[in-house]
Amino acid sequence: MKTFKNKLADISVSHYKLVTFVMVLFTLITGAFFPLVTMDTDPENMLEKDEPARVFHNKTKKAFDLSEIVVLGIINEHDPDGVFNPKTLRHIYELTEFAKTLRWRDEKNPGQTAGVIEVDMIAPSLVDHMTQGGPGVIRFEWLMPRPPETRKEALAIRDKALSNPLLRGQMVSEDGKALCVYLPLTDKMLSYQVYTSLRKKIGELGGDEEYHITGLPVAEGAIGVEMFTQMGTASPLAMALIFGLLMLFFRKGVIIILPMIIATVSIISSMGLMIALGFPVHILSSMLPIFLMSIAMVDSVHVLSEFFDVYTKEKGRKETIKEVMNTLFAPMLYTSLTTAAGFLSLTLAPIPPARIFGAFLSIGVMIAWLVTILFVPAYIMMIPEQKLENFGLSAHEEKKQNWLTRVLGAMGRLSYNYAKPLLGVFLILAAVAVWGITQIQINDNYAKRFIKSHPIRKADIALNKHFGGTYTAYLILEGKLPGKAKKQDIQKIGKDLTHYAREVMNEYENAPGLAEALVQKLPDFARENDTLEDFLNSVIEHIEKISADTSDETYYAWQELQNFFGIEKEKLRTFKQPEILAYMAGFQAYMENAGLIGKSTSVADVVRKVNQELTDGRPENFRIPEKLQGVAECYMQFQQSHRPNDLWHLVTPDYMRTSIQMQFTTGDSMNTKAAVRAADAYFRDHEPPAELSYRWAGLHYINLVLEDKLVWGFLNSFLGSFLIVFVMMSVLFRSALWGMLCMVPLTITLVAIYGITGIIGKDYDLPIAVLSALSIGMAVDFAIHFLERSRVAYQEQGSWKAVVPKMFGEPARAISRNVLVIAIGFLPLLVAPLIPYKTTGIMLFVILSASGLITLLVLPAILTVAKKWFFRKVEKPDIKTVASPNFESKSVGCN
Amino acid sequence: MRKIIIAAFLVLVFFTNGFTEEMQEALTVEDIVRKANHASLYQGADGKGKVTMVITDKQGRTRERAFNMLRKDVGEKDGDQQYFVYFQSPADVRKMVFMVHKHAALEKDDDRWLYMPSLDLVKRIAASDKRTSFVGSDFLYEDISGRNITEDTHELIRTTDEYYVIKNIPKVPDSVEFEYYVAYIDKKTFIPMKIEYFKKDKRCCRIIESKKVENIEAEENGKKVIYPTVIRSSAKDMENGTKSEMTFSNVRYNIGLDDKIFTERYLRRPPRNAMR
Repeated sequence: MKTFKNKLADISVSHYKLVTFVMVLFTLITGAFFPLVTMDTDPENMLEKDEPARVFHNKTKKAFDLSEIVVLGIINEHDPDGVFNPKTLRHIYELTEFAKTLRWRDEKNPGQTAGVIEVDMIAPSLVDHMTQGGPGVIRFEWLMPRPPETRKEALAIRDKALSNPLLRGQMVSEDGKALCVYLPLTDKMLSYQVYTSLRKKIGELGGDEEYHITGLPVAEGAIGVEMFTQMGTASPLAMALIFGLLMLFFRKGVIIILPMIIATVSIISSMGLMIALGFPVHILSSMLPIFLMSIAMVDSVHVLSEFFDVYTKEKGRKETIKEVMNTLFAPMLYTSLTTAAGFLSLTLAPIPPARIFGAFLSIGVMIAWLVTILFVPAYIMMIPEQKLENFGLSAHEEKKQNWLTRVLGAMGRLSYNYAKPLLGVFLILAAVAVWGITQIQINDNYAKRFIKSHPIRKADIALNKHFGGTYTAYLILEGKLPGKAKKQDIQKIGKDLTHYAREVMNEYENAPGLAEALVQKLPDFARENDTLEDFLNSVIEHIEKISADTSDETYYAWQELQNFFGIEKEKLRTFKQPEILAYMAGFQAYMENAGLIGKSTSVADVVRKVNQELTDGRPENFRIPEKLQGVAECYMQFQQSHRPNDLWHLVTPDYMRTSIQMQFTTGDSMNTKAAVRAADAYFRDHEPPAELSYRWAGLHYINLVLEDKLVWGFLNSFLGSFLIVFVMMSVLFRSALWGMLCMVPLTITLVAIYGITGIIGKDYDLPIAVLSALSIGMAVDFAIHFLERSRVAYQEQGSWKAVVPKMFGEPARAISRNVLVIAIGFLPLLVAPLIPYKTTGIMLFVILSASGLITLLVLPAILTVAKKWFFRKVEKPDIKTVASPNFESKSVGCN
Repeated sequence: MRKIIIAAFLVLVFFTNGFTEEMQEALTVEDIVRKANHASLYQGADGKGKVTMVITDKQGRTRERAFNMLRKDVGEKDGDQQYFVYFQSPADVRKMVFMVHKHAALEKDDDRWLYMPSLDLVKRIAASDKRTSFVGSDFLYEDISGRNITEDTHELIRTTDEYYVIKNIPKVPDSVEFEYYVAYIDKKTFIPMKIEYFKKDKRCCRIIESKKVENIEAEENGKKVIYPTVIRSSAKDMENGTKSEMTFSNVRYNIGLDDKIFTERYLRRPPRNAMR
């Protein structure tokens, strides 16, 4: 290693121009990929492409032809009639007409246009109204063919809309104060264009209505915008802040520029590499710059500090830097490796964006290390010798008494004199924290990623106040077609046929005779066909053939019998069966009554509503017809509208799969979880009238699947990270005991932080989950430094009591600075308008500063109490040589 | 003498040819539209046929329907008509009936009835417009019973070797979902072979095509006549990506359908012989 590291320093020093050139070239090449950057804001991508829940979700979207939808919410709190006044309805009408025109040339399919799908839009002027038009008359019309002129007309529209259970709580709020226009898109990438066009049009309308534009594609677009904002503001701010801090510590511009260069190089090259390899920037990886900002700097600051201490004019910059690099090579390598290893553990997480983030963070850390090793000596060589003259001064200033020194001194005395009580306090705190951890509430909420003042969050709050909920999940029910016809099936069909033939005998007198002959043949047909459906089909075909040339009377009788088999065939269609629809209606009522969902919509509602209007419109006829034929007539009638295809969003054309749309009033995944459990219980306790399987889909459900990954997936990477770092520490110290000691401060910190999370009731969500694994590699560095310096000092002093005051001098100062730079470096994330950024910023600040503080309190206390255990080994000469001389740095600075 | 006759015949042939050509040249756009209206809706005094319909959605999933259709004209001129649609399949809607009394006068709404066998209920349908789906297909009611020619202004935009190409613009724009439609009318049969509907941005949103035309023999006043009849037509919805195809069989004209078939009483029990 020694020869290798010497060689590196030699190369750097003697070919400093070449090294600089190569570094600049590498940065430029990787940076050249920046224009190719793509953003990934799709929450679906949190899961693997082949994740079963995701595959099923996409299958569902296709089967029920579900598009991404922009929601335009209009609220009028001023008018006593809410939105149902002529003026507001005119605005809504105009916006609807305008939204229809939001189409642009399709970039992907030349000659086609893309944008809002007019036929699937939901708006008052685009939906049907079905009602009684007098006795025996059913009336079909547009709900609002044109905007009303008078208050009376406007209120009539409200009453019509509210009479439709398919629109109530979906297009129109029950209180009539709010209305939602739904704009499905051909491509969700167009959501931003739709958003801006709508905003402009709304601006032209005036009026005192409140408008909200939301929906998942809009939210995704907004997250993309905020990601750019974050990278564009928080990272430069972090750079400025760290620059300020370093100025405060070192007061030398020429020194501080170096870390800035290293940070820039590692950020640009790791981001550039990520882009070049085709990975889109995700909400996690958008934090690469701010993470690398402080982490990349610390090594170089360390080198510079050491350099100033060692530098003398006689020795010259060349020899000095070689000596410094020799001294610091190993500690820099180890701290970089632990940090990188900690980040790399994220690749164990089952969430692809987290893996990419972890991988490129560790690449960035290692790039920073390499650049530090190679470029710092080169940089020193480029500083003119005369500029280095007064460098010792900055180091000397350290010795002045200041508040930091005093505080650290007091801490040292505290940890030595009150070691046992101190440890006791920490033990109690840890116990409380462990209890807190058991109180942790796992919950993620996509909408809550935006701060309360963000338009999306505002829309979310406002619309959910009025509606049955804007978060949608789908419960997909699937029926099963029977296999080969069983003997008892055939017997039953034969019996039923005979019975049926007798029933129609009055009209078709030879029906029983024909039926009897046919019953004899049924077993043959059953044998030849593999499924019940095929069996029925071949009987129907058979009747078609033999009846073709018969007399009229026989022909009509055959027709009746053929229809019997036709009905048997339709009975196989699960979601035409009245019992099944009634079962679904019961399930929906159960879910709504349990308060788990705001509203649900299914074919059971469609059929009930159509049945009500087809009979006489009375509320008691809002029910499922008794016979399959009645259900079929309702389905047929529903399709005879302006929007026949609406039905296929709820049931597949083969009537074997159906989708119950569930609207949740809250985006919390824990609420979804409760709904999923309730559904499980319902299906367990209430046996469906036919074989039925059920499964959830919809992004709102995907979010819940993600929640599960958050817990177990990140626990894996956390444990992985913990283990790797522990092993590395044990190797470094050649002692598992010291390795364990090294892990103590961050363990206490994490237990405390997550305990507090549980106690104050902050949801354990994605950013918090990621942070647990992420912070280990960073937080352990403080302990490495403290312990290594303590071991070295012990060898010099020979007694722990003598070591303590020394440790709380310059080494503690160095660690404190290190803590401050890294921790404060994350605070600029607070300016980003997305909550996950703020959480990350705050949490990392707290985790890093707490683990720094705990390092300085708990480690000396433990060493004081158990010094016999720990230092017996250190005194052995063979260990001594291993642990150093690499760490024999008297240096200050960070890391 | 013989020569004279031949010469006269030749002259006549020449003359008539010239004359017919001239006549065709002289056809106004209104004439063409009227003839097309007749060819597609009013051939024979009545007619019947079996229809099978296949609706295919954008994913290729299909649904089928079969029904019998009866039609009878009221009066001589291409005016009021009566339609009777009797469902055969799917089996669960068999015997369901739609009946329409179409009124040529613009100010008079069509009378429509629906019979639902499972509820044994006859309902009159009052619809605000005729542009709703016909049995869930891509054909609209108006495609089946015909759009009143006085509802649009017509413009002959092109004449090709085969077609008169006519652009039709609705007189009341907000009564329909399209901006205008272009019909390609066969010069010989006057059957509209293709109708394209356009929306505001000149985007084609729907296409109706006559895929197959057959000459159907019939008797008119004791003489044999030929009615060119569309026996396969399709409607394509470009916005939904769906397509419906209707195939006619057993088409017969001038069969002397009784007026009383087209009354409420017969909805429940249509005459069997009209249905085979």
